[in-house]
Amino acid sequence: MLHRRIYQFFIIYFLGLAALMVIKYGLSLSDYVIPSPAEIWQTARRFFPIYFVAVINTLSVAILGHILSICLATIVGIIGRLTIWVGSFIRVAAYNIQAYPIVAVAPIIFILLGDGLSSRLLIAAMICYFPLLLSFIGIFSEPVYEIEHFFESTLKMTWWLQVKIRAFENINKLITVIVGSATLAMVGTIVAEFIAADAGIGYSIRIALFQSDLAKILVALFLIGVCTSLYLVWLEWIGHLIQKRWEIPEGG
Amino acid sequence: MRPQQRKKLGYIFLAVLFFTCIYSFSGEVLAQEKEEVAYRLKWLFNVSVVGDLWADVNGNFAANGLQVAVKPGGPERDAIKELELGRAQFGVASADQVIRAVSKGSPIVVLAQLFQTNPLHWIYRPAKSHFKSPADFKGQTVGITYGGNDETIMRALLAKYHIKENELNLFSVRYDYTPFYQGKVDFWPLYINAQAPIIGAKLKKAGEQYSFVSPDDFGIRFVANSVVTSRQMFESRPDTVKRFITALIQGWREALDPANNERAIKTILQSDKETPEAIVRQQLPVTRSLMMPAPDFPFGKIDAAAWKQTEEIMLSQNLIPKPVNVEKLLKPPVP
Amino acid sequence: MQLECKNLKYQYPGANLHVFKALSLQLPGPGFHALFGPSGVGKTTLAKMICGKINGYTGEITSNDMNRILYTYNLERIPGWSSVREHFELNTPVANRHIVSELIHSFGLQTLMESRFAQLSLGQQNRTNLTRYLLQDFDLLIMDESLANVDEVTKEKIILKIKDMFSERCFLYISHNVVEVAKFCDQIVVLRSHHQVPQAVILTGNNHKNGQPLDKHALEHTMLEIVHAS
Repeated sequence: MLHRRIYQFFIIYFLGLAALMVIKYGLSLSDYVIPSPAEIWQTARRFFPIYFVAVINTLSVAILGHILSICLATIVGIIGRLTIWVGSFIRVAAYNIQAYPIVAVAPIIFILLGDGLSSRLLIAAMICYFPLLLSFIGIFSEPVYEIEHFFESTLKMTWWLQVKIRAFENINKLITVIVGSATLAMVGTIVAEFIAADAGIGYSIRIALFQSDLAKILVALFLIGVCTSLYLVWLEWIGHLIQKRWEIPEGG
Repeated sequence: MRPQQRKKLGYIFLAVLFFTCIYSFSGEVLAQEKEEVAYRLKWLFNVSVVGDLWADVNGNFAANGLQVAVKPGGPERDAIKELELGRAQFGVASADQVIRAVSKGSPIVVLAQLFQTNPLHWIYRPAKSHFKSPADFKGQTVGITYGGNDETIMRALLAKYHIKENELNLFSVRYDYTPFYQGKVDFWPLYINAQAPIIGAKLKKAGEQYSFVSPDDFGIRFVANSVVTSRQMFESRPDTVKRFITALIQGWREALDPANNERAIKTILQSDKETPEAIVRQQLPVTRSLMMPAPDFPFGKIDAAAWKQTEEIMLSQNLIPKPVNVEKLLKPPVP
Repeated sequence: MQLECKNLKYQYPGANLHVFKALSLQLPGPGFHALFGPSGVGKTTLAKMICGKINGYTGEITSNDMNRILYTYNLERIPGWSSVREHFELNTPVANRHIVSELIHSFGLQTLMESRFAQLSLGQQNRTNLTRYLLQDFDLLIMDESLANVDEVTKEKIILKIKDMFSERCFLYISHNVVEVAKFCDQIVVLRSHHQVPQAVILTGNNHKNGQPLDKHALEHTMLEIVHAS
């Protein structure tokens, strides 16, 4: 799984790079517009250690933000399941807040929380939280009649049992949504760093942009791609373990 | 369909065809009359581009046979890249951008220098921070945008006055001024012509006095915005370049002429609807003083010594790997 | 203890046609009764109205002394995280635990107790599901095709065992099978299309029990009656 995802990323990355080179040499563009392979290589050798630390920093914040948003989405998803009104209110609120571009909301966050870890964490969580929330609300408010009917008829249903039934029955969906939102957590963290933080790969990209240094950006993108792929593989592996634990062979 | 109806439809078709031909023909004639070029600015429409807007709105470009698409810039826009990609024929770029691009083989020439003094200054509170010379930065918290011009300028200033980085606190700044308002940062970088009236108004409202540090006063002559074009354009279409730069300088001179103050403000407000008129009224004289140090100053003059110093600063900070001989890029404007 | 429906009128929200226009019926009390009728005639709808899952009808449903009405259907499942044994242990009221092993044996569930529900065949799933309902406290149990996937021999054994063990309780057995309805049921409610008047006809079945001889002529007669009525 790891092997496949990483080499697929390499294929995509180097195809993209090749396309850039075709444009560069096809249009005779200078290294200022698109850097030469030699410059990219030199930049990679020079900045790899710095950017590697930066991307690990970003990844750790992204993972924290992701965990935070999964917990939040679970709690709000469970509350949203209670009544139709609460559920629809939370859904509308989620859609509305998600519609705001983060660059517009970010200044408020920075005024309130400063430009340290908490802001990065919150923005990362905000970007991956809403897709998670919408899926979680959908899953937790969708009854599994064939199972729930017995407990409701015999007055044994509790909120915890209901959540457990719905989560168990939709475990594959939940894992897919969680894995899918991991990339959003990474994007969110990078955006937060780009806008305001003074650490992480987003911050490094921002400096590189100030210096119009595309070579640095390409190196950063490479590291982001590798780290995101590794995180996704790790999440898929966890999901696989959970699925395997509950996997039951069909009877006849 | 009856023959009468068919005949009627035929007439309509012919009429449409006729007017289409006339319209296309007249369009071609108009296009032939004026040469179309695109001009990419460095920043959004504001006081710093008043002359560019003036030349467009008040017909300086048209009078020189040009139809110029004046396009606003922004943080993600890079006029030099657009010149190379052929999306613009002229642009505005900062000197460090130009030097960086040339060091990477970009074929760029400089046609005019807009700011004679770099508008980048540091605002501070005299009541809190005593400042007479850069030596007073010692022990203070000074804001810089890592990777930005202000970092380069501040580092050059510190180097010139032999101040080591550990003798002051450098603070990474963003567009949010809260750390300065809260007093966490003593010196905050800003553009004195565009941002200072806005920030100053807030400080005044809070009953605070403020002042500015100009790196130029301490011998750091780091060139800001300049008008650039590609070397190919400069060599293959010299007449267009001449007409463009003539029109542009005319426009700027008129816009900065105090006699045209009201019209210049109106021109800015037409394009920049966000900034209140009262602020624009404060911004314009400051901009004028940075671009026209004296009433008879030849607008657009390229300060070759300042360009050389800018190159040296960048070289000393390893922002470029080797000299670019910047003087070769400078193609002074037509008098 | 009796169940009575008076003049029921109901149509699904948004639907043009009425399911029931003036449905009236009466069930005498304890016993194994049937609700019979062609597909789409409203058997499940009526069952859900009786157990209170569907409201918004006019008319009256009275169930004297029937406080605990349960409804079960053949598509129900047990949560996948527990085995059949764990599920029974967790969900059987203390007072009924003494009948668990008897039911497990009679319904042939001994070998399935450690399995998860998804591992069972459809017939085994039907039996397991019905067993957990029989272990609950109820006055009326509505069995909506609850044994649909069970073979005829086992089905007969199960129905006879239910009639034996729960003779004081009331059952409403929903089925399309004329033979089993005529053979095992006491009162048979034949539900007919809303065009027909009356919409429900009540017939007496053979109410066959363990150890009693089966009168084949009477059975054939009942079957004919059901076919004519429906």
